[in-house]
Amino acid sequence: MNQIHCRINGSPVAISSPGTRRLLDVLRDDLGLTSVKEGCGEGECGACSVLLDGKLVNSCILPVLAVSGGDILTLEGLRETERGRCIIDAFAETGAVQCGFCTPGMVMAAAALLFEHSDPTEQEIRIGLSGNLCRCTGYDMIVSGVALAAERGRGLW
Amino acid sequence: MNDSISNPVRRVDAYDKAAGYAQYLADMKFEGLLYGRLIRTPVSRGVLTGVELPEMPEGYRYISAADIPPGGENRIQMIKSDWPVFVSDTVRYLGQTVGILTGPDRQRLHELASKITVHCRTQEAAYTIEEGLACRGGAIHGDDNLFADFHLKKGDPEAAFSQADRIVEDTLETGFQEHVYMEPQGITAEWKEGKLVFHASCQCPFYIRKAVAPSVHMPYENIIVNQTTTGGAFGGKEHFPDVIASALAVAVYVLRRPVQVIFDRREDMLYTVKRHPSQVLFRTALDAKGRITAMDIDARLNAGAFESCSPIVLQRTIFSANSVYDIPNVNIRGRAVATNTVPSDAFRGFGAPQGIFAAEMHMSHLARELGTEESEFKRKYFLAKGGKTVTNGTVREEVLLEQMWSRAAELSGYYEKLKAYPPGSYRGIAPAFYLHGGGFTGSGEQEIINGKVRITGSKDGSAEILLSNVEMGQGTATTFSKIAARVLDIPLDRVKIANPSTARVPDSGPTVASRSIMVVGKLVERAASQLRERWGGTSDESVLVQYEHPPWIRWDQETLQGDAYPCFSWGVCIVEVSVDPGTWEVETLGVWTGHEIGRAIDEAIVHGQVIGGVNQALGYGGLEKLELSGGGFAQHTLADYSIPTSLDFPKVTSFLVENPYEYGPFGAKGAGELVFDGAAAAYAAAVQRAVDRKVERIPATPEYIMEITEA
Amino acid sequence: MVDAYYPGSLAEALELRTERGAIPFAGGTDLMVKYRRPAGVLPELPGPVVLLGHLDELARITEEGGILHIGAAVPLSVIESDRRLPYLLRSSASQMASPALRNVATLGGNIGNASPAGDGICALAALDARLRIAGSQGSRSISLEEFITGPGTTLLREDELITEITLRPSDCTRVFYRKVGTRKANALSKLSVCADAAVQDGVITDIRIALGAVAPKVLRMKDIEESLRGSTPEELSERIPDVLAAYEKHIRPIDDQRSTARYRKTAALRLAEEFLRNLSEEENRE
Ligand SMILES: Cc1cc2nc3c(=O)[nH]c(=O)nc-3n(C[C@H](O)[C@H](O)[C@H](O)COP(=O)(O)OP(=O)(O)OC[C@H]3O[C@@H](n4cnc5c(N)ncnc54)[C@H](O)[C@@H]3O)c2cc1C
Ligand code: FES
Ligand code: FES
Repeated sequence: MNQIHCRINGSPVAISSPGTRRLLDVLRDDLGLTSVKEGCGEGECGACSVLLDGKLVNSCILPVLAVSGGDILTLEGLRETERGRCIIDAFAETGAVQCGFCTPGMVMAAAALLFEHSDPTEQEIRIGLSGNLCRCTGYDMIVSGVALAAERGRGLW
Repeated sequence: MNDSISNPVRRVDAYDKAAGYAQYLADMKFEGLLYGRLIRTPVSRGVLTGVELPEMPEGYRYISAADIPPGGENRIQMIKSDWPVFVSDTVRYLGQTVGILTGPDRQRLHELASKITVHCRTQEAAYTIEEGLACRGGAIHGDDNLFADFHLKKGDPEAAFSQADRIVEDTLETGFQEHVYMEPQGITAEWKEGKLVFHASCQCPFYIRKAVAPSVHMPYENIIVNQTTTGGAFGGKEHFPDVIASALAVAVYVLRRPVQVIFDRREDMLYTVKRHPSQVLFRTALDAKGRITAMDIDARLNAGAFESCSPIVLQRTIFSANSVYDIPNVNIRGRAVATNTVPSDAFRGFGAPQGIFAAEMHMSHLARELGTEESEFKRKYFLAKGGKTVTNGTVREEVLLEQMWSRAAELSGYYEKLKAYPPGSYRGIAPAFYLHGGGFTGSGEQEIINGKVRITGSKDGSAEILLSNVEMGQGTATTFSKIAARVLDIPLDRVKIANPSTARVPDSGPTVASRSIMVVGKLVERAASQLRERWGGTSDESVLVQYEHPPWIRWDQETLQGDAYPCFSWGVCIVEVSVDPGTWEVETLGVWTGHEIGRAIDEAIVHGQVIGGVNQALGYGGLEKLELSGGGFAQHTLADYSIPTSLDFPKVTSFLVENPYEYGPFGAKGAGELVFDGAAAAYAAAVQRAVDRKVERIPATPEYIMEITEA
Repeated sequence: MVDAYYPGSLAEALELRTERGAIPFAGGTDLMVKYRRPAGVLPELPGPVVLLGHLDELARITEEGGILHIGAAVPLSVIESDRRLPYLLRSSASQMASPALRNVATLGGNIGNASPAGDGICALAALDARLRIAGSQGSRSISLEEFITGPGTTLLREDELITEITLRPSDCTRVFYRKVGTRKANALSKLSVCADAAVQDGVITDIRIALGAVAPKVLRMKDIEESLRGSTPEELSERIPDVLAAYEKHIRPIDDQRSTARYRKTAALRLAEEFLRNLSEEENRE
């Protein structure tokens, strides 16, 4: 057992868990943060995306010990912020959501991208989303969603 | 802006999903939940000789055929019931369910599962269509391995062949395709007040109820299936959930505790159903002027180990084998071949993509052979209103393909690009034309489904739609609501629609065959207009309506003759590619599509279907290689099975042409599958032009393109 | 039982290596996938791991006397955007995995994993990278080429860690990088070609060609490279067929779920040829 201290969605959290346990399992099973999805469990699909210290990571292949001292943001935290609401609204408006299983991960990837490039080109958006698989939308409307969030959220990013 | 129903609205499910509130199966909590792991056969074919179990700690159970309750039968009731819940003797495919291990802790369960050894006597297996046809290792099904063997005839092909100037032969092949719904398969079952209750990520709640009833010998009233918010399905959750549910039914019957099975992605990729691989052989008779006078077509599908819905998939394949073309004389044979692979099953398009790929590529090969420009050659044979289909049915709508073609050609700069990039220039552009018959084949809607829909209006001015078709991403929660809101003349947010439960909703049929909007949406429209007459928004009222077959449809299920579908949706797709001369990697430079689906209930939702469908089809055509390896699949991770990412294909240009259909709500026809049907052929034909070699199969991977160019 | 350690320093990490036999764990993007189990089950790692990703000592990039020192645990996202680093390395890092993976995956891990298809390894091989290895007895330096002995095998000893990758300055400016993956992004390599050359006063003064995923190890043929040094582009042009024939003999690719041996070989040779042709046609272009 390891004792891990970190911040999750702004609050300090102490976790007692084997250190190699997947962050994904801790978030979903222990903390009830079910916006974080499991689509593959091997880093391929991005459904489990969260931000660690502002950077996009896949929680399914991140051992919980590795987030010691880190700051984790899931969609449960992001949706309470103005930036989060901006992306969520933009996704809803552009038709970026179909079955929705990839969507929380896509929203996190969009946030990570916009934190870094406040005014991304289409190609930059596509690169930013390239680790998040979506089988429903064919991506175009998600790309539009991110572009709309960038435009609407000017000043936020 | 006009107030057409097609104007986009914000999807009713978008916010909850985008903000992470939507609860999928894995997100739901169940008191006292046990986890289940399916224990599987290690061989593709043989006989089960024993299962060696480790010592089971308290709370852990292994449940198998021996636990089926008295009166229960070891079979899953699909269309047929050849697929057993648990293997008791004969093994037909690798990974077939032998038993289910249950227990409270997943770590412990995993450790126990890895200590179970399943012993089988191995027999020689048949994996491919050829091996299946040759009954390698003896017949798996019947005495010829054919789940179905259909014959169609239009005109007088024998006469036409006997007068042919020349005959051109061709063989087209397509591979397996995995659905890759992002949410893997999963079901939780529980025992509640004497009832067996399922929570399932699925397309067809009533199918599950029917499927499990025999195994636990329970009446339908005591089986409830609740659909959970479903993270994609594409046909993969049409019949396969029956397989998981049946094992769970027996487990929960015995344990009286909730049990959950959620597949790991690899398990999902290895052991769930796939799109049927196909092989279509053409012989085409040409007259002295190079006109097609007749075709002889032999279509074979690899159906896998159990029948599931393969005969019906095969019907779509052969009914689509002339694509949008009116060929005067045609002979078609179609066979669904049993093999020892995971059963092949429904997948967006349901057999049509295979037929259309073959037809489009064959037409494209004929154009090459005759030295005619491809679009010009194909357009000469377009079906028109009054034209005859391969089942001798009648096309009843105006066919707008010419109009769609001009628009697509203009948008893509087709003719300029043809000139600029001659064959073999490593750059190519090509069209595909396609159609999709709306709804169930033949008389299925009337004789098998007979769907019902209820709408209730309450005193508070809101209405609720009750039906069994599920929202799985395709947008029906929104489009059904739009139809009802529009007819009832109430705001969209006053219409409720929930994930269906068989305990609450009438059976409006399965969520398949692009029937939801066209057929069930029509029922919603009818129910809403009846309700509107009685309900002023101040009382509680309820209306139930039932399917009515369009009176003019003639269909004979025995001979497969007549109007296979009441109407068709139509499509055109142009793809432009460049091929790297060093690595044969393909870069898709543009995709232009036009569709005629009657009328869109929501343009944004339809465009979402188009773009998603086209990407899935381009994956099918170029990327998604799924090869058999020792009875399993060589590509069984998302690392090795490549579905498109955001960088693989460019933005898709999509337009719609209206042509309202009288029997669809607001004139709507089916759209969800049509949009998958053509892009793979357009891609393959574009590659073909770029390298100036015949492309005969998909996926057209760089390895394959190298083989044909270096040959 | 402790299954993972979070050392406070490199020294402590080395101690854990020696005393507990802990497995080096940087980004974990190879380890967590290789030993993954289904949801709710711990990964089945062959022993306890020692986390390295957070150690400052392994996360720095420095330049001293023209020599670049890249910490073994620098994430790929940093590598792809650090302009001090050779373009070849940055290109290769930027095409590895996905943005989320690149935020944690490292070059040290890519080397430690020693996959024949490792993209970082191929670029580093073309750059003549050397490794600094620290152990309980002090540290040593070894060339990457020597260090990797075959698919998944290296000369790392039980008490050691890779601490940094060192690159000496080079005059090469004719960079050629091609990764042929299973798709356009987030793809593993079917093969890759990393090449680099320097041309001065009409003479090729330096040339390096590394072919990835076409043999058990990255393929670099120094004798051929040596023989090309000093040639003019024209002379190179004449030698291309011979050079390719020599490579062809040493390319020993495999058939697997991602590609075929024949494709790997043909495409690798085509790309090598493309690089050589570009180089040989320089004069005409300039
Ligand atoms: C979705 C996905 C996509 C990928 N795409 C690519 C790709 O495009 N190209 C590519 O090359 N790879 C790819 N990989 C593989 C992997 O990401 C890379 O090999 C990465 O560089 C590994 O780095 P890491 O830090 O995560 O390694 P880890 O998993 O931490 O370690 C890998 C190995 O190296 C050892 N090791 C780590 N650090 C050290 C050290 N300092 N000293 C000694 N040994 C050490 C470990 O013990 C282990 O054996 C991909 C993986 C995934 C999951
Ligand atoms: S679940 Fe983590 S990347 Fe797919
Ligand atoms: S919306 Fe279904 S996977 Fe993206």
